[in-house]
Amino acid sequence: MRTIRSRFLLPAGLLSVAALASLAMFFPGTNAGASGHADAAQISITPTHVTTRSCGTVNIKGVTSSVTNAGNPFLSSSKTCLNGHLISYGNTAITYSNPPQSFISAGRLLFAQTCSSCHGSEANGVNPDGGATIGPNLQGVGAATVDFWVSTGRMPATDVKAVEAERKPSRLTPVQALELAAWVNSLDPSVPAVPTPHLAGANQSAGQDLFSLNCAACHTIEGAGDALAFGTNAPSLENRGVTGQQIVEAMRTGPANMPRFSGNLTDRQVTDIVSYVTGRLQHGTNPGGAALGGIGPVAEGFVALLIGVGGLALICFWIGERS
Amino acid sequence: MSDTDHQPSRTRVPMPVAALSDPHMGDAAKNPERSEKIIAFILFLGIVFFGIAGAAYVQNWSPWTFGGALGAGLFALGFGLTAWGKYLMPQGPFVEERHTLASTPEERDSMSAALVERSAVVVKRRKMLGGLFAAGAGVFGIVAAFPLIRSLGPLPGTSLETTGWRKGMVLVDSSGRPVRRDTLVVGGIMTVYPQDTVDPQNGFITDQGQAVDQTVLIRVSDQPFTTEPGRENWTPDGYVAYSKLCTHLGCPVGLYEQELELLVCPCHQSMFNVRNGAVPQFGPAPRPLPQMYLGYNDDGYLIAMAPYNQPVGPGFWERNS
Repeated sequence: MRTIRSRFLLPAGLLSVAALASLAMFFPGTNAGASGHADAAQISITPTHVTTRSCGTVNIKGVTSSVTNAGNPFLSSSKTCLNGHLISYGNTAITYSNPPQSFISAGRLLFAQTCSSCHGSEANGVNPDGGATIGPNLQGVGAATVDFWVSTGRMPATDVKAVEAERKPSRLTPVQALELAAWVNSLDPSVPAVPTPHLAGANQSAGQDLFSLNCAACHTIEGAGDALAFGTNAPSLENRGVTGQQIVEAMRTGPANMPRFSGNLTDRQVTDIVSYVTGRLQHGTNPGGAALGGIGPVAEGFVALLIGVGGLALICFWIGERS
Repeated sequence: MSDTDHQPSRTRVPMPVAALSDPHMGDAAKNPERSEKIIAFILFLGIVFFGIAGAAYVQNWSPWTFGGALGAGLFALGFGLTAWGKYLMPQGPFVEERHTLASTPEERDSMSAALVERSAVVVKRRKMLGGLFAAGAGVFGIVAAFPLIRSLGPLPGTSLETTGWRKGMVLVDSSGRPVRRDTLVVGGIMTVYPQDTVDPQNGFITDQGQAVDQTVLIRVSDQPFTTEPGRENWTPDGYVAYSKLCTHLGCPVGLYEQELELLVCPCHQSMFNVRNGAVPQFGPAPRPLPQMYLGYNDDGYLIAMAPYNQPVGPGFWERNS
């Protein structure tokens, strides 16, 4: 019996070392570098004394107001405009607000320093000599688009020839992002304005259903992100640096290859999804012990092959062993 | 080279056949009687578990009961057989002299005679175990025959050729909301179903056809465009709709990249260009995704102007195109 045990010792030891090493590969490492301004609090630009006012100069380009599906900057017939251009589309789930007028002059200076070389001095995608710039025309994209690209650190881009501008720690502060958004939006005011989701009444369970239906195809059911076509990829949402505001901005503006979710998701449904991502996916529990990166059958199959087939090999060893 | 080089060596080495009285022919276990009882009990357990599995199948008990009993029965059978070979077979060691591979006919005859005699005696010595193993395997065979025979029917009929879409059906989302002209902006995507399969109050109400009816609705542009000759009016206001079932293996083609205007299948990375009739650009998909002829009804809701003009999803033997 003693000799049998010592014979099992080597293969069993090798198997367990390999299993531990493979498991360790899938544990989340130090990916803090990609977290953007993780510790920067979501900035609120809600005026302190909110009073109802007429809509003034808010431009809702391309929006038809005959639709009854309230709760959406693209489709709402019922808008309530508050001072500071704080807009509510018939619900309390999300308020959209343009940055204050006082941000515009600072934004103009900042844009000239950090953005104009690629997007043109008037953010219209035109060179001084009349040709097209590297970057696209930004006029009329709405403040939320600018705030998303800058606050996630994707802009200013480090490699303008890259397939995608990756998320990285932002070079600019959240306030500077809003200053840029204020100036770009002042050139050709448009929707959506910068959203502020209110998660108090959000339904995480409904959010899970909506996430499975609309988001999980690309971002995976765990929100871990995945590769797509031609070198593009859907980013991870598990990172706690991904704020609810950025998620709403991405859904409402459709950055790069991401589809634009407008009339098929109301503001209430959007906050349900935000609540599920920030409240659940970003604070995941792993009942099985190891999530294996949350990337599905490849990692799980690898571990099953190693531990399962390795264990079977040990059983075969026992069968073949003479007693 | 002489002919003798090709002759196999005829050195005669007598085949040592261990006599039954040889101590090496004894059982490997120290206490064969006790081992035999244990193995017999385990094999008997196997029969009981197969019986439970059969009862679970007939009585429609939970899948856990059926699978658990089947697994336990197979494990008992395998364990009993392994332990039998390990503990109750001749312990050896047997030493066999190396000799030429080809034996003379006489040697082969005497070898097979010896083998038959020896094995028959050794196996027959455990009649009860042999009988129990045969009974277990027999019960397993009977139980396994039921699902096998049942799986042969019924025939699919035309269900592979058709979907739930009919002319004039309104496109609704998963909660039953109908889709209007301005539900999506350019770059938007949603999954839609035919009106009757979704109840706005209760969500899904039908089991039949839900999977094959899934359709992706994409707004590619503000203007109508033509994906293929003969489909001139199929994309009102830049809306285009394709079956969501990949023509490769039927995975849901739900990944849409709006700048590349590509639908990507998550299973094997087939890519379909939504502007050119979803012709595969990459990957194993053999055919374009079937496109739906879209239009508006009098109330301004998006409708299917016709059912799909070809079977959706992966190919099958009887498929014509």
